[in-house]
Amino acid sequence: MKKIFYMIAICIVAVAGSSCSKLDNYPDPTETLNGSVIDAGTNKTLQTENGGGGTRIKLMEISWSDNPTPFYISSMQDGTFNYTKLFAGKNVISAEGAFVPLVQTDASGATIIDKSQTVDIKGTTNVNFSVDPFLRIEWIGEPVLNPDGTVTASFKFTRGTTDPNFQQDITDVHLFVNSNKFVGNNNFDNRYSPQIDYNGSEANAQVGQTITLTTKGGPLPTKREYFLRVGARTNYGLKYYNYTDVKTVTVP
Amino acid sequence: MKKITYTVLCFLVCWTTACKKLDVPPINIVQDKDVFTSQGGIQAYMARIYSELPIEDFRYSPQRGLNFFWIISPFSAVSGEALSRDQSSAMQENVDESPWGDSYKLIRDVNYFLENMPKYAATYTPAEVNSWMGEARFIRAATYFALAKRYGGVPIVGQVLQFPTSNVDDLNIARSSEEEVYDFIAADLDYAYTNLSESNQVGRANKYVAAAFKSRAMLYAGSIAKYNQISLVDATGKRVCGIPSTKAITYFKASYDAALLLENKYSLYKKAWAAGDKEAQYQNYVNLFFDETSPENIFVRQYHYPESVHGYDSYNVPRQLMGANGYSSEVNPTLNFVEMFDGIPKNADGTIKTTTGGKYDLYTNTVDLFANAEPRLRATVILPGDVFKGQSIEIRRGIYTGSSAGGISPLLPAGSTANYPTANIVQSSNASQTPYNLPGGGTMNPAGLSGVFTGDGTAAISGFSVRKLLVPDKPTSEVLENRSDQTWIEMRYAEVLLNRAEAAYELNALGQNDKAYLQDAFMEINQIRERAGATMLASAADLTNVNVIRIERRKELGFENKTWWDLRRWRVADKEQNSTIYRVLMPFYSANDKKYFFDARTDERNSRYTFDVRWYYEQIPNGEIQKSQKLIQNPGY
Repeated sequence: MKKIFYMIAICIVAVAGSSCSKLDNYPDPTETLNGSVIDAGTNKTLQTENGGGGTRIKLMEISWSDNPTPFYISSMQDGTFNYTKLFAGKNVISAEGAFVPLVQTDASGATIIDKSQTVDIKGTTNVNFSVDPFLRIEWIGEPVLNPDGTVTASFKFTRGTTDPNFQQDITDVHLFVNSNKFVGNNNFDNRYSPQIDYNGSEANAQVGQTITLTTKGGPLPTKREYFLRVGARTNYGLKYYNYTDVKTVTVP
Repeated sequence: MKKITYTVLCFLVCWTTACKKLDVPPINIVQDKDVFTSQGGIQAYMARIYSELPIEDFRYSPQRGLNFFWIISPFSAVSGEALSRDQSSAMQENVDESPWGDSYKLIRDVNYFLENMPKYAATYTPAEVNSWMGEARFIRAATYFALAKRYGGVPIVGQVLQFPTSNVDDLNIARSSEEEVYDFIAADLDYAYTNLSESNQVGRANKYVAAAFKSRAMLYAGSIAKYNQISLVDATGKRVCGIPSTKAITYFKASYDAALLLENKYSLYKKAWAAGDKEAQYQNYVNLFFDETSPENIFVRQYHYPESVHGYDSYNVPRQLMGANGYSSEVNPTLNFVEMFDGIPKNADGTIKTTTGGKYDLYTNTVDLFANAEPRLRATVILPGDVFKGQSIEIRRGIYTGSSAGGISPLLPAGSTANYPTANIVQSSNASQTPYNLPGGGTMNPAGLSGVFTGDGTAAISGFSVRKLLVPDKPTSEVLENRSDQTWIEMRYAEVLLNRAEAAYELNALGQNDKAYLQDAFMEINQIRERAGATMLASAADLTNVNVIRIERRKELGFENKTWWDLRRWRVADKEQNSTIYRVLMPFYSANDKKYFFDARTDERNSRYTFDVRWYYEQIPNGEIQKSQKLIQNPGY
């Protein structure tokens, strides 16, 4: 009797012990994809915002399936991206954001333009996209701290593409103000950030003109730095914002 | 020997009983034949599928989804009609509470009915069978419409899918184009209109309900064809988001024609209405939502205490009439909403006029500012000082104790989002107040009984409280959660008229002149305005702009959970909610004048609303995307 008991006990221990061995022996994802989305007109990276409203890189891994579920990588706010936990594999890569789409279809769904890139991701893979932004926004001079404690900034926007299909009306322009360097439509201090909303096509006359905006809501609190950025958008698709780079103003 | 006899006997007994057939349908499960062979069975089937119909009624909020009792972040506080202490930003519907899965369950139930009902047709007259088939098709159409208005093109499942199946891939159905979905809805509703009976039980569809829903759905489709800027085309060339703009005329015509079918079948509720009598017009508009025999009600969902209930009164009564659960004032209409109405003093830019020559206008009572207000406004919103359940609803932000010599200058510069200065203002942070001694004797609480309190959101934070749909004679002892049972009016004739007017206006704008569309739109708008007691349009030429019709719609259907969808289909939500702070109207009592003045300002909480453009097509739940290789996500998610 005792013998049987011990036999069973040993069996249980053996079975339980063997179940501890790892079955998932597939290596961790370690490949890196990095690169930039570059404005074809200026050869600078295209400024965007962090998170869902900004540029994102779309990966379709075609090693296994012709019709994969896309995987998205958000771009950093300066237009570069760096993702270090990908599996090795063959991917069709494109980007979505505030620029003329890299993949365009006609009314029947046939692809007429396809600037996506098919890339074998292995080790560190670099992919750059050259794009035409909807709007190109430039600072004019530096933002100025006024005696009354507000900040005034001048800028202009121009069309980044000559294709009339992507020259929709400009709907609004914002001077985004924030207290840290991550600033944009999804991250700004709305007490101080002014905006102009345009109706219909009235903003089209403003293209190329100098526009000046002053922070609202009275004087900015003192003894700190503010990060400023201009964003504007057109009435196309998801109405992504185009941005300037970030300028810093120190309020003493 | 005895033992053997017993054994044999036992064996024989067991053997005989074994002759019974074991393959019988389970007797504890209701069979198709039980359901489909009796009127009662069919009524039970219908009751269930109607109860699952995805309509945004008293039990809906974007945060918690359909058919949930707790409505403390109300829909109207997302659309900008109101402010609520529990909702401080724009949002899309909570993806985790998405109606996607439940809608397809309902569609399966309807398809099952459509496939099995004809097998039992011999039991009934053909007219009965046709009517039920039409009713089921109506429910399917309404469900697809609920999906289409959220997601655009969705997979069309027109029959019962068999599972398990030899080929699981057959169950993966790709999204149809948005246009195909609306065409499918139109086809179902056309079938329903042809086959349904003239009348039906309250809460169930008749043929005119199908026509009314068609006018609504086709208006949405036409608006998307005309105003949408978003496109998503799948690998096979189907445009799952967006409708070609060339289809706008077709859809607006379909909407217009469907609305015409209801003419002379329903009418605006005017039982207590009298020309030129504002009080009667007000009372008539209040009654409209509670008269079960109203000729305006087209499609309703009934409630009945205690088995089917909601808590609309409990959540939304003014603070001073709060019930025992401690809820109140969840829906506080914004000044932006109130300013759309006629009969209040206005500045040239359409905002409410509260000052003259840079000094506040003074009023003896708060309600005096609204002395000439459109009756529909009073019936929709409880204005400060107006009467509800026999009480004057006292809404006061504070007492101004400063000098009044030469008039009172605005407390804050125009457009300021700052807090009110504390000098010269006595205010109260909650409902336990310390009375203020007025000069010349007497005391007064700093804030009104229904607010506004500075530290406690259970008050009329916008300076207004909602009246529409609140039962006017419900005793406070019954103002409890899950104690309300007034009927939800999902479709009323006023909406059909507004659908018709909007479709007509759009057809005229698109150059259609086979009928006098603009004149027709003018007639409908004036019918609505006459009943409301609003200022009438002088002629069709007053329809200068589509906003005349849209604003009429927003006023008439305010707080009926329709406006958010309208803002979406017009594609104006992202413009209207673009870092927007909604406006409020704060009544103050000037101690020295012994009179009231009003300050119009932005929401004191500084809650900003921004509508993300992606929300025009809501996110399909990721769990659904992962189930099917063919299901593609909407843009931007």
